[in-house]
Amino acid sequence: MTDTRVAARVVGGIKIYGEGDTEVRALDDIDIAFEAGKFTAIMGPSGSGKSTLMHCAAGLDTLSGGAAYIGETLLSGLSEKEMTLLRRQKVGFVFQSFNLIPTLVASENITLPIDIAGGYVDQEWFDMVTGTMGLTDRLTHKPSELSGGQQQRVAAARALVARPEIVFADEPTGNLDSKSSSEVLGFLRRAADEFGQTIVMVTHDPKSASISDKVVFLADGRCVEELEGPTVDSILERMKSLGG
Amino acid sequence: MLKLSLKSVAANKVRLTLTALAIVLGVMFVAGSYVFTDSLKSAFDVLFEQEGATVDLVVRAETDFQFATELGTVPDTLLAEVEAIDGVQTAVPIISGFAQLVDQEGNPIGGVGPPTLAFSWDENFDDVSALTLRSGRGPEGPGEIGIDAFTADAKGFVVGDQIDVITPLGVETFEIVGILGFGDADNLLGATLAVFELPTAQRILDLEGKYNQISIMTADGADIPTVQAEIAAFLDEGLEVVLGEVEIEEGREQVDQGVGGFNTALLVFAMIAVFVGGFIIQNTYRVIVSQRTKELAMLRAVGATGAQVTRMVFFEALIVGIIASAIGVGAGILLALGLKSLFSAIGFGFPSGPLTVLPRTIIIGMVVGVGITLASAILPARKAARVAPLAAMRDTESTYFKSLRKRLYIGLGVLVIGAAMLLIGLFTEIDQALLLVGLGAGVVFLAVAILAPLMARRFGQIVGAPLPRMLGITGRLARDNAVRKPRRMAATASALMIGVALVAVIATMAASLKASITEAVGSEVSADYQIETGGFADPTMSGISVQLADDLRALDEVSVVSVVRYGAYRDPVGQTESFLAAFDPEVDQTVRLELEAGDFGRMGPGTVMLHSDVEGFGIGDPYPIEFPNGVITDLEVVAIFGASLFQIDVVISMEMYEENFDNRFAAMMLVNVAAGSDPVAVRPALEAVVGEYPNAEMSDKEEYVDKVGAQIDALLNVVTALLAMAILIALLGITNTMALSIIERRREIGLLRAVGMTRRQVKRMIRWEAVLIGIFGAVLGLVVGVVLGAAVVVAIGEGIKLTLPWGQLLFYLVAAALGGVLASLLPARRGAKTDILEAISFE
Ligand SMILES: Nc1ncnc2c1ncn2[C@@H]1O[C@H](COP(=O)(O)OP(=O)(O)O)[C@@H](O)[C@H]1O
Ligand SMILES: [Mg+2]
Repeated sequence: MTDTRVAARVVGGIKIYGEGDTEVRALDDIDIAFEAGKFTAIMGPSGSGKSTLMHCAAGLDTLSGGAAYIGETLLSGLSEKEMTLLRRQKVGFVFQSFNLIPTLVASENITLPIDIAGGYVDQEWFDMVTGTMGLTDRLTHKPSELSGGQQQRVAAARALVARPEIVFADEPTGNLDSKSSSEVLGFLRRAADEFGQTIVMVTHDPKSASISDKVVFLADGRCVEELEGPTVDSILERMKSLGG
Repeated sequence: MLKLSLKSVAANKVRLTLTALAIVLGVMFVAGSYVFTDSLKSAFDVLFEQEGATVDLVVRAETDFQFATELGTVPDTLLAEVEAIDGVQTAVPIISGFAQLVDQEGNPIGGVGPPTLAFSWDENFDDVSALTLRSGRGPEGPGEIGIDAFTADAKGFVVGDQIDVITPLGVETFEIVGILGFGDADNLLGATLAVFELPTAQRILDLEGKYNQISIMTADGADIPTVQAEIAAFLDEGLEVVLGEVEIEEGREQVDQGVGGFNTALLVFAMIAVFVGGFIIQNTYRVIVSQRTKELAMLRAVGATGAQVTRMVFFEALIVGIIASAIGVGAGILLALGLKSLFSAIGFGFPSGPLTVLPRTIIIGMVVGVGITLASAILPARKAARVAPLAAMRDTESTYFKSLRKRLYIGLGVLVIGAAMLLIGLFTEIDQALLLVGLGAGVVFLAVAILAPLMARRFGQIVGAPLPRMLGITGRLARDNAVRKPRRMAATASALMIGVALVAVIATMAASLKASITEAVGSEVSADYQIETGGFADPTMSGISVQLADDLRALDEVSVVSVVRYGAYRDPVGQTESFLAAFDPEVDQTVRLELEAGDFGRMGPGTVMLHSDVEGFGIGDPYPIEFPNGVITDLEVVAIFGASLFQIDVVISMEMYEENFDNRFAAMMLVNVAAGSDPVAVRPALEAVVGEYPNAEMSDKEEYVDKVGAQIDALLNVVTALLAMAILIALLGITNTMALSIIERRREIGLLRAVGMTRRQVKRMIRWEAVLIGIFGAVLGLVVGVVLGAAVVVAIGEGIKLTLPWGQLLFYLVAAALGGVLASLLPARRGAKTDILEAISFE
């Protein structure tokens, strides 16, 4: 806990969709920082701006106002191309579904960001990550030959393999049954513990959120609560008190 | 259902626009061909009407040759006899032949296709022909000439200027006294015009004592049939007197035939374009249907019957077909208009007349466009009907792999049928052989298209193998994406295959022809120099003044000058027309005739030399022949030759030619320099003489080969240009397929972008996928084209040796790859702009 370096942060973040009557403030002057090496969960009711926050913090989308940083890099100052390069060097992603390129086998999907960048794959690290993910005997399978849980683990391995500064996962277990779900979550937890990986995960499931180091609650595009060292009970309690 | 179809059309606007474009282009070509040729025809009708209004009767030689450009002659003594007949008001003698104008710089004008016409002028000429004086007056003296308005404008000639004219006898200078037009056109489809007073025309065309015809206007109240009968009574055999309308009608028929042939040629290319369009439409519908499987299944689930779904897809195609065809017909009219102005601009005067849009044109355009759309939509529509209600949630491609074996057998079966049609058309003597060959080629294309999906995957993997090495993951994805849907890749490539194959056929034929001519010239020509006119002129319509031969013979440096001429003849038994050559006795000193039997020295009146390809005749046999002047006779075969240089089967003596043909131009002269003279050293002396004859070009063997090669290339380019439309449509097909695939892979591209693929890399990935498809199409096309071309070359025989134009084929391959790049520009841009968030957001 001595290292309080910040891997990514949003300062006074505002995101407005639409105009006039149809205007939606998806992010409303939000301040949030993701500490390096920590596993942060983001919770909140549907439509509270979780995905929007993640997209803006990860450089997939731009804020309407305020500033987003990855490390010390101000995202709004970057061109489209610089943003793309930044994403492939510093950010890993796990989406809720459709994470993999169907024509590539698992190992190729995992090294995709490195290959796109034309970089070299650190084989030792690759073996370690895939080993940790329990994917060693699935590396030559096409996504269509993998179960949903395996697919999400491949996605997680892909997010980790380039050693990004931060991994964003938007409801990575949203489509999985509880067994596969806990497998994937277990691996994310290990990534944080064993590799010191910074992880930000959006979820609406208290059980999933309970494995994180800290839960941030969103409502109407703002941070309304933070909870360090969460448990399922403490999360449920907060949710109730927030009028969920 | 109709409402649903309409909605579906609206929803699939982008995908259907490209499909529609393929139909529009095809129909445009079809409609444009008709409108253009109909307009041409009606323009001629206007001309004929101007002429036909006044001429009542025409006295002329009987001749019914199609090929012959010779009109035959009547003796000039007839004129007085005709004029003496009661009821004849005016009798106008007419001479018509060919003479070429020369511009101020000494270059020949025209003569590279359209004829260089020469006529006699009469004070009554304005009445009996479509010629109209624009300025000045008609020629009245021996040194006077009238020329066409286009030449006058283009070259800046005005009344009072001097102009040189190449006549069969030599080059003479005349004074321009009049400028003429054809009706209100400045010239007639590029033909130049020179008119002379009657005696001068007779003299320079070597027709002294003869006319080509006498046009008669009867007095008011005279009974034309009576006058006709009176004239007929004293006509010699071989002459006839016909009604003016009959002559006009014949002219009209000839024009109809010529224009009809032109139209057919254009339509062939238009139909190829439509055929290619059909591939694209079919492909588009198949992709759309498979992309809409969910929607269609849902319709089924809520109770729509399979037939209803079929009908929906069908109606959709109908709507697209009707709209696109209507636009295509409109575009065709514009195309014809554009062609018309283009023709006028480059010197092919188009007699003015309205743009003729016949109901037939609109009907055919609509039927072809709608028909091909519906025909192409049938298979996908039936597939749509089979979509099971439960398939809604599954996202798999068609049952392609199950029917692999079936596809192979069907494809091979179709291939055998196509090959059989080709072989029968090429190697047996049947009517409509050309049509059969064309259809056979079409069937072969279909067969290859059916088989192509079986090869697509492997092809993509092999040819695409270097991509991952070159471009890493981007190349890898490009290759994988290309072969991902082998049927789609194959269908897209097949469309391109057709155009490329046809271009390759033409290129193979051209290369073989060129190689054979090069070889023939090399081994058969012993002359030091050859003289011909430049360009494509019909050797029976123009040529070099024979005087040149005498001028050259007068040089000490020259030992032999031989002359060759061409003319039409008819086989009196089979009634087929063809061309013969006339050789003067010195030809065998300048060309190795490769005599196989007989004696060239016996050539003279009543004898003939045949090529060894002509079967069934030996030395001493009678060879029946009919000349354009109506003479039918048996010639004695005195020699059999094997030389292929002239591409001619029948050779007669120059004496007999001059007896039976009016053309006094020489088509070719072959020159030997005197023994002991160095051909190179004496060339300037020869050139100085040849230079006096502006349209004569002297070349040594090498230059001659180049010249022939250039002519063949020019022809090749014209055909390639006409096939460009089919290739353009095929490239549109690639664009279409890429666009459809990108829509399909929206999420994938979004994911790639999210994990760090730059827009540039996305573009590159899409581009290379298109290049692979293009190369696949080109390779299929080149293979099919070379095989077809080889078959055609072998079938033609006549000493043409198969030669493959490797360089050109490689060029087409590269061009196809570049075409792929071009075709992918828009889809790549669109793919690169894929909205990441929209693509990855969970639906
Ligand atoms: N592309 C968009 N256009 C318009 N409104 C949007 C868009 N994306 C999200 N929103 C709106 O922004 C708000 C926040 O959305 P989101 O961040 O997806 O919420 P969450 O992920 O917490 O469910 C919602 O009201 C949503 O409707
Ligand atoms: Mg969300």
